[in-house]
Amino acid sequence: MPGVGLFERIRSRLGGSRLIVILSVIGPGFIAGNAGNDAGGIATYSIVGAREGYGLLWALLLITFALAVIQEMSARMGVVTGKGFGDLVREQFGVRVTVAIMALFVFANLTVTIAEFAGIAASMELFGVHKNLSVPVSAFIVWFVVVKGNFKQVERFMIAISLVYVTYVVSGFMASPPWKEVARQIAMPTVKFEKEYFLLFITMVGTTVTPYMQFYLQSAVVDKGVRIEEYHFAKYDAYLGAFMTVFIAFFIVLCTGTLLHPAGIVVDSAEEAAKALEPLAGEFASHLFAIGLLNASFLAALVLPLATSYGLSEAFGWESGINKSFREAPQFLGFYTAFIAIGAGLIMLPNVPLIKIMFLSQTVNGMLLPIVLVIMLRLVNDREVMGEFVNSKRMNIVTWLTVAVLILLTALLLVTSVLSA
Amino acid sequence: MPFFAGDIFVSDVFKKPVLDQAGEEIGKLKDIIVGQGDPFPAVTALVVASGKSFFVLPWEQINLFNKRVISVNVLRTTLVPAPPAPTDILICRDLLDKQIVDINGAKLVRVNDLRLGDVNGRMCLIAADIGLRGILRRLRLESRGERFLALFRYRMSSNMIGWHYLQPVEPKLSKLTLTVSRQKVSQMHPADLAEIISEASQKERSAIFGTLDVETAAEALHELEPSIQADIIDDLTSEQASDILEQMPPDEAADVLGDLPEKKAEELIQLMEKDEAQEVKELLEHEVDTAGGLMTTEYLAFPPDMSVEDAITELRLEAPDVETVFYLYITDDRERLLGVLTLKDLILARPEVALRDIMRSPVKTLPLDTEQKDVAEFISKYNLLAVPVVDEDQVLRGIVTVDDVLDFLLPPASRKRRRKL
Repeated sequence: MPGVGLFERIRSRLGGSRLIVILSVIGPGFIAGNAGNDAGGIATYSIVGAREGYGLLWALLLITFALAVIQEMSARMGVVTGKGFGDLVREQFGVRVTVAIMALFVFANLTVTIAEFAGIAASMELFGVHKNLSVPVSAFIVWFVVVKGNFKQVERFMIAISLVYVTYVVSGFMASPPWKEVARQIAMPTVKFEKEYFLLFITMVGTTVTPYMQFYLQSAVVDKGVRIEEYHFAKYDAYLGAFMTVFIAFFIVLCTGTLLHPAGIVVDSAEEAAKALEPLAGEFASHLFAIGLLNASFLAALVLPLATSYGLSEAFGWESGINKSFREAPQFLGFYTAFIAIGAGLIMLPNVPLIKIMFLSQTVNGMLLPIVLVIMLRLVNDREVMGEFVNSKRMNIVTWLTVAVLILLTALLLVTSVLSA
Repeated sequence: MPFFAGDIFVSDVFKKPVLDQAGEEIGKLKDIIVGQGDPFPAVTALVVASGKSFFVLPWEQINLFNKRVISVNVLRTTLVPAPPAPTDILICRDLLDKQIVDINGAKLVRVNDLRLGDVNGRMCLIAADIGLRGILRRLRLESRGERFLALFRYRMSSNMIGWHYLQPVEPKLSKLTLTVSRQKVSQMHPADLAEIISEASQKERSAIFGTLDVETAAEALHELEPSIQADIIDDLTSEQASDILEQMPPDEAADVLGDLPEKKAEELIQLMEKDEAQEVKELLEHEVDTAGGLMTTEYLAFPPDMSVEDAITELRLEAPDVETVFYLYITDDRERLLGVLTLKDLILARPEVALRDIMRSPVKTLPLDTEQKDVAEFISKYNLLAVPVVDEDQVLRGIVTVDDVLDFLLPPASRKRRRKL
């Protein structure tokens, strides 16, 4: 019967209620997590695997934990206050702090968005499609989906894209890694006290925990209208997102660690990794890798402009929401459009200094993350804001410790990257 | 009684030192307490912070209160530290940076700054600054920002919402609602109303228009930017829209219709009363920025052999429907323009005299296709309040009144700025 989609048919098979619960669990946190595995993230994991083999897999466990703790707080703030991070910062910290954070946030996100479109261009070029075709087409799709779609449709679209990350899981298995060795390296890591090893470690942390993920998660929870009774769903959604992020990262490292590392092939980007895989594991593996990169860049190219528009609208009090039309929320959709246009437009120019842009984005995100985390902890412990949902004492020890470690690592990343520049 | 001069922005006095009688610093201004006065809450006390202790200084004790000096009539040593009461409304804490929503709950903007001013000798909270100016002032960049924007020929307008358009203040508000209630709206001057409407969202605008009587709606509509006019007309039912258009002077109605899609305009004209529709249709045939497009067809015209006495009687009957009564035009039976009389001429003449004998002739006229700029210059050159517009056969087709070209007569800076969103 036309009009009855796959979804409806699955629902009738599964029994409606259970699926509804599953679907309401999956959403903002899952998407935010997956969007964290963007073009830059995949590049980093590919490099980590190629350079260090399985030597840094243990760090992924730590990252999962840190990400889960932070994303849960974002989800909790969104559910409890019904306000985005931008709203709370503006109301609790005033104009100065807000403008400073927003300036960094917009700048950082713009550079990352450019990198995502670069990822789209690079991955499509592996399939022989010129960037003058791939970039405008994907920019248009990303724009069209959000401007014309409603929240539910856009969320389902993004969840569907997130499932394409499975290509990395397949590539990981196809590499047929020595599982015992992998397990041994995770359980009993041999931590090397070398500069390059350590740098890769902190880059990996920096690329996985990025401010836009927290901004996006909180805003999306609010836009979705998750109620306080549904908080436990939101919590598991955030945890699931954190898990997914690292789960995918694990298979990327596994793939390049198994195939490229023993061969001594050093790569500097995700597309190089995809190319390097071809002679070793065949065209199919290489294509899977490239599709993964395309997909990751595409999802992040949607989430980043969205997170930025949410943040700006919240900070300055403009109407926002995916369900709104251009008339109802002109600034929100206006910034969204502008962001995509600039991000995609810059990539179309010849000789874009991509390395410099990536470096800038890492630096600015590195500056922003500590500020965001400290503000987040202050907000989440403010009884005026959170009521009974403030952090418990035990939670605070865990979160402050996590945040302190993250801040330390990002500070180190900042210092080393500035020194090496 | 404290001495204060003119309007003061909260950001200008925030954190300013507060001095006692002997010139000693008590502390820095931390907040301002207001009562629950309606519509403008009066300042009742200042909160001064010194280290960790607070002083609440009643307004009666204040001596000077301005941007430069804040001083009180008491000695520092006599003050007892005490925090403000929980029920007090502290404007920095409770109002600044808060979200402003319309009656439907759609987000509009945030409170960027607060303006205090004199209401019947009391210092009251009079307006919320919602513009860019407010943000720059908070950042202490107002004058620098202004000079910077001047480089791009951009003038920042000041954007305020008078407190009488906002809900009464209460302690611990999470957002401020614009109270454009039916009653308040009908008391507003159409120009003020237009200001509110252009700040409101799409939905809200139509809601506001729905509550207005036709005459007020017509006047307010005229004050708005053409694009907003078209949006509003689009949202109203065709019957409502045509009623409002009938109320407007034909030249203004023609302006509005000219901005609408042709089909919609046609439909509305069909619904209007015959006479009105005919006039509007004629006006629509002319280019908008020519004398024909600017003119109104509602003027006073009398036959040459009418007596002054009859003319005055007739004038009383027709005056309500015409735009200006200062000029009476004398036309023959084919509506060709013969002469003109000023209202003064008419009143000073003896009652039995025929108009032909006192009219001024020849009359300064303009052809239909005169450019707007030339119309303005013509009116200015001959010091007219209105100029008749004639076709090739000297038939009087309409008049352009001075207010229709006022924008062209004023120097650019003082031109009326139509309200835009």
